[in-house]
Amino acid sequence: MKVHYYKFLMFFFFVCSLSFAQEKNVSGTVTDDQGLPLPGVNVIVKNTSGGTQTDFDGNYSISVNRGAVISFSYVGFETKEVVVGDSDTINMKLSASASELEEVIITGQGSGIAKRKLSTTVDVLKADEIDKLPSNQIDQLLQSTTPSAQIRLSSGQPGTAAIIRTRGAISASTSATPIVIVDGVRVDNLNSNAQLGIVTGGASVSALADIPTESIERIEYIKGGAATTLYGADAANGVIQVITKKGTKGKSKIFYEARVGVIKATEDFLKYDRTAEAFFEPGLSLEHRVGINGGGDKVTYNFGGSIYADDSFNDINKQVRRSLSFGLNANVTDKLRYQASFSYVGTETNLDFNANSGNARFSDFEGGDLGDLDVISDTDFAPIRENYALIGALTSNESTINRFTNSNKFIYDVNDNLQVNATLGIDYRTVVQNQAVSNALQISRGAFPDGTSDRGALTRATRNNFIVTGDLNVTHKAALDNFSFVTILGGQFFRNTDRQNRIEGSGGVDGTSRIGFFPTQVARDFVLENANYGLYFLENIGIYDVAFLEFGGRLDENTSAGANTDPLFLPKVGITYNISDHDFYSESGMSNILSSIKLRANYGEATNFAQPFSEVKTFVPDVFLGGLAVRFDQPGNTDLVSERVKTTEFGLDLGFLNNRINFSSTRYDGKTEDALFVPNALPSSGLRAQVTNLGEISNSGWEFALNADVIKTSDHLLSVNFSYNTNDNSVEDSGGSPAFVVGGFNVIGSVIEQGQSLGYLRGTSATRAADGTFTFTPNDALGDTFAPNFGSFGINYQYKNFNLFMTGDYQFGGSYVDLNFLLRHLNGVDNTGIPDDLVGTTSPFNYVNFFVFDNDFVKIRNIGATYSFGDKLKPFSNVILGFTATNPFNWTSGPADPEITGSGIAAQNGFSSGGFAYGTESAPRIFLTSLKFQF
Amino acid sequence: MKNTMKKLLIILLTITLLVNCTDDLKDATDFTSVENPNLLEDSFLGQSNSSGVWLEGMDRQMSLFLNEILILSELGSDNYVNTQTFYNQFMDNLEIRIDDPDMRDTQNDLARLREMADFGLEEVGPQDPLYSEDTEAEYYFFKGMSNLFAGMYFSRIPEEPGAVPLTTEENYASAIASFTSAIERNNSQPEYYLARARAYYYLGRKVEAVADAQMVITMDSDFVRFARFDETDTTTQPAVNIFENALYERAIFDDLQPLPTLDFLDPKYSFLTPEEDAPVYYLKAEEAYFILAEANLSDGNALAAQGNMTDLLALIGTREVRTIDDTTEGRTQRAPGSRPNNSGVVVNGRPNLVLDRDTSVMVSSVSGTSLTQPEIDAMANDDAALELLYRTRQEVFIAEGIRFADMGVKLVMDLNEILLNENVSEGDAGTIAVIPPFVDAVKNDLDAITYDADAGIANTTIDLTAILVANKSSDQVLPFH
Repeated sequence: MKVHYYKFLMFFFFVCSLSFAQEKNVSGTVTDDQGLPLPGVNVIVKNTSGGTQTDFDGNYSISVNRGAVISFSYVGFETKEVVVGDSDTINMKLSASASELEEVIITGQGSGIAKRKLSTTVDVLKADEIDKLPSNQIDQLLQSTTPSAQIRLSSGQPGTAAIIRTRGAISASTSATPIVIVDGVRVDNLNSNAQLGIVTGGASVSALADIPTESIERIEYIKGGAATTLYGADAANGVIQVITKKGTKGKSKIFYEARVGVIKATEDFLKYDRTAEAFFEPGLSLEHRVGINGGGDKVTYNFGGSIYADDSFNDINKQVRRSLSFGLNANVTDKLRYQASFSYVGTETNLDFNANSGNARFSDFEGGDLGDLDVISDTDFAPIRENYALIGALTSNESTINRFTNSNKFIYDVNDNLQVNATLGIDYRTVVQNQAVSNALQISRGAFPDGTSDRGALTRATRNNFIVTGDLNVTHKAALDNFSFVTILGGQFFRNTDRQNRIEGSGGVDGTSRIGFFPTQVARDFVLENANYGLYFLENIGIYDVAFLEFGGRLDENTSAGANTDPLFLPKVGITYNISDHDFYSESGMSNILSSIKLRANYGEATNFAQPFSEVKTFVPDVFLGGLAVRFDQPGNTDLVSERVKTTEFGLDLGFLNNRINFSSTRYDGKTEDALFVPNALPSSGLRAQVTNLGEISNSGWEFALNADVIKTSDHLLSVNFSYNTNDNSVEDSGGSPAFVVGGFNVIGSVIEQGQSLGYLRGTSATRAADGTFTFTPNDALGDTFAPNFGSFGINYQYKNFNLFMTGDYQFGGSYVDLNFLLRHLNGVDNTGIPDDLVGTTSPFNYVNFFVFDNDFVKIRNIGATYSFGDKLKPFSNVILGFTATNPFNWTSGPADPEITGSGIAAQNGFSSGGFAYGTESAPRIFLTSLKFQF
Repeated sequence: MKNTMKKLLIILLTITLLVNCTDDLKDATDFTSVENPNLLEDSFLGQSNSSGVWLEGMDRQMSLFLNEILILSELGSDNYVNTQTFYNQFMDNLEIRIDDPDMRDTQNDLARLREMADFGLEEVGPQDPLYSEDTEAEYYFFKGMSNLFAGMYFSRIPEEPGAVPLTTEENYASAIASFTSAIERNNSQPEYYLARARAYYYLGRKVEAVADAQMVITMDSDFVRFARFDETDTTTQPAVNIFENALYERAIFDDLQPLPTLDFLDPKYSFLTPEEDAPVYYLKAEEAYFILAEANLSDGNALAAQGNMTDLLALIGTREVRTIDDTTEGRTQRAPGSRPNNSGVVVNGRPNLVLDRDTSVMVSSVSGTSLTQPEIDAMANDDAALELLYRTRQEVFIAEGIRFADMGVKLVMDLNEILLNENVSEGDAGTIAVIPPFVDAVKNDLDAITYDADAGIANTTIDLTAILVANKSSDQVLPFH
């Protein structure tokens, strides 16, 4: 071994000395068409390992041999090559590549299609924007950076679910969460508590929290309607498509980044300062990230890894996260490409109890269970505080999550016009949750007498979710004089197996985490298995390369449809007209001012299917006192089909002043037909409620987005973006079923009722009549939980190596119940705003309107700055210093945080209206400093 | 390049051939087969002993129904008041609403008990090779219990899905028919006779009621039939004892509080074992003695009634008394001092009705009473004797849903029944609560008390027993009068 090593070294020196002999130094500047310097351009000596990158002023310097070929490459620009001659200076001007001008969107299946040919809109978040953001949770990345998604953080506790919605709530019985696809592979997107998951009284652990966010090249957010038709089942809520980095040809780049953050609770919405005093303590987050990116003509690769830990903003929460990702592109032959990606994410969290859980500390305080904390003396408060600190120390709701995702894509170019794509991939996510309710905890709560030592409980819930995705399609491109054709034909399947087990041990002593040591053990299991498959085709016809007609469809079948049903055909059709692409227009003077005009219109259908097995009539053999007890369970529905959302969309996109200002507007009208409702059964039938295709839900609205480069000089770039969206949601038809409660409580609930918005707030209201007495209106409509007006905004300023950015979002027009306030009132400690002559005369449930507030808010989500030192700090090719503040400012119209939903999303993949601010903390403020070294 | 193409083609062809030719690989590549872990009708029906496990299911369903009705009926009576927000918010003041989801669930679980019985009689039993007459008798018994409860708690309710609602009397008649069918198949179960006796009792058919009650005592003078509860059940509608949760398990929440005159009987249900919750005795021999005693009083035969009550007292004396650690709740941990909480308190002039809870307490888990032999011996043919009987009846049946039925109050059919059943419209009989006028007049005071902690004196604002007896001639209460 030693000998070989020695020989290798000898060879290396020989080669090196040989090359030193003939080399010279070449330098220069790389600019774009406009002469602006391009930093980070790969400058490579072909067929050698030599290479460098341009600095921030576009300058480079490299040692080469005379006669060698230098290649200049940069993402989004045409690669250029130059033979080294006598000159020591080579300046290079790179032109934007045609493919970049025609941004390609992965349309669901097949090869991508140029954005300008699409009649649908897609929101895109690119690598450079993602890298700037401090979060490593996909929902938080998209929040305030996508123009038309409503992403609402239901709790500040780590790893918890955000409620995501785009074009309103389309379903009364399933989650509004978009499906998530990583490199063509569907991944677990369960954004609610699992069927047998550990309940902490809300704030459920979400699968969105551990979608790999390392090494993302781009995220496409597709909002539903015609854009999602080809994705098949469940895509009606939209699709979040993640495309990971596969490496860039050129000199290898290595980076190391350290992030240090301070996490501080948001106290804006607390009723009592003492809540903060008792529970909140600033925490620290630490993260190390490394990455390698590079490759040659045949193979490119990307590696990313990170390790993260924080101890959150309070005395309980903790989070650890480890991730690895790997991406590869190999040109197997001239015609065959193989792209692979693999990622691993592991997280560990500890959550507090929330909301109406018997152990919830936060709601005990904020709900007034302990009286008015503002008036309690310090002496009286001290033992309360001490006891609650003890409860906190004894709280244990731990989740360990491991997720593996793998995608394999084969691209075969049969000829220039015909391409075959095959994708096969898996996603495996395993969650193990442990909840210990120890004797000590129960004693500290006063629930068990002092000295109890044999009533401790330990629950372990495990969920393994396995998804396989396969797709095979053919894309054909043809041109005929003034017409172009893109034809995609393919088939796709995915299958999902969700296996859950839960063991509960009780009657045990404290100090063990082995359920076998608990005298009484109960086991439960749960299985959901579903296969969805379909054939699809798409034809995009270009007419004079300015107008594009698109039509296609998907024949969709899934195993959770009833026995009496046929596969669903989901059609789509669209037309796009790029008026500004006409020669006459681009030659006219108009184009200098109004530089682009695009008209879009489309119609498409997408579906959501019901939970697997909900079509069959079932019996349940319950284990009852050690024996079997069989009963009716689900009545069954052999006619059950997916609910289908039919969306019509019209859009106008305008670009002004050479597209320095871009304006996009879309009108959408969506109708959910055969909507899945779970109405109450006829009571005298003795049957359970059964999911049925019963209703019709409509969503319509406008989407406006504006992006503008306000200042654009060689040194300064100031861009702003702003969006405004409206949504009008209504249950058009409830199929004759009476109103039913889907969230909240019976006395103040989130209700589904014909003529109202999905999940609107309903309860008895009290209003003062002219004579001074109160009129009580039962079942009064008290507001919509979904804000019908919302949007996001951002500013980005670049001065040379310095970048400053801000993102935020807002909403108005909806309502929420301040449940903490209601509880305080019930506990007799808070009558704020309630007429004195009403208090005490009747039950507070007869004047719930006093607890309902507007859910308007403006929130700044991120403010950040970065500075790039370039290669001034040798040996690094670049060093970037960054600072971000997350959630620094909130303005709300009501007293509470309207985003908070302490009751969580209890049913697996169930509908969640939100709208009940209750029992959990808001997302914390995070002040993060990062330092990134590039080699 | 051509070579690569060829190779690829050959590989593809080989794969295709393999996929088509081998069954094993078909299993490996079929992505559409899914495993449905549920028990489907075809696989269940016809299985050996399917009728037995179905019967267990009905036993469990009885427990589920009791979970619903006990909360409503005990809050709706003067027995308990809900001081917190977790359980039903309307029943304390007899606000009986068609949009109260508890109405819906109660009706649904009641119908479910009957539907399960019918399915057992029509499908499960006949297809099971091990189906026995005893099992069939039990099916009829549960069907009858469903009808009996329908009569006790509803003024009108359908006997079939979506059917024309039956009156209380019609439901009792159906119950009697079912119990008779049960007895025809198995005449050795005293509870069949007692259940039928109760139906006759509420119908005021004294002769038949007395005959069946007498039969019960002859057969087994201390029998009990009870619903069991599984503490480890974690299904969505668990068969744990919900009323036990309200009385004991949710200790620090202090949800339900008894009328101070009944303090010594609370909590009837408490921690049993980690596996099993305390049972609810829904038919017990005591009821037979009450029927006989009340019949005798209505016949002016106080002496015979004394005998019945003496036997009753003896029986109660044999019933289990449990020692319970109730220190966690005390008597209202959340609002200390708000309710009588020590044995020194005198309630309505009577001592020894309130327990000290800072140490273990002894509470009857089947039947308990403050009745004494001297009180029995003093019974005469007057209303005082009837009041004594009804006071004892309230005590013995606390937390069993009988007091509410004795008040003559009836629940309503739920809004969903109104909207989905074409035979029912809002405003019809059965959709409006039935509350006897003399109960309606005091409905806001059912649970009202005054308490002077310093003086150790508590009083109930009204004496409902006296009110019921005063109105004995009403056809809504005291059926033998």
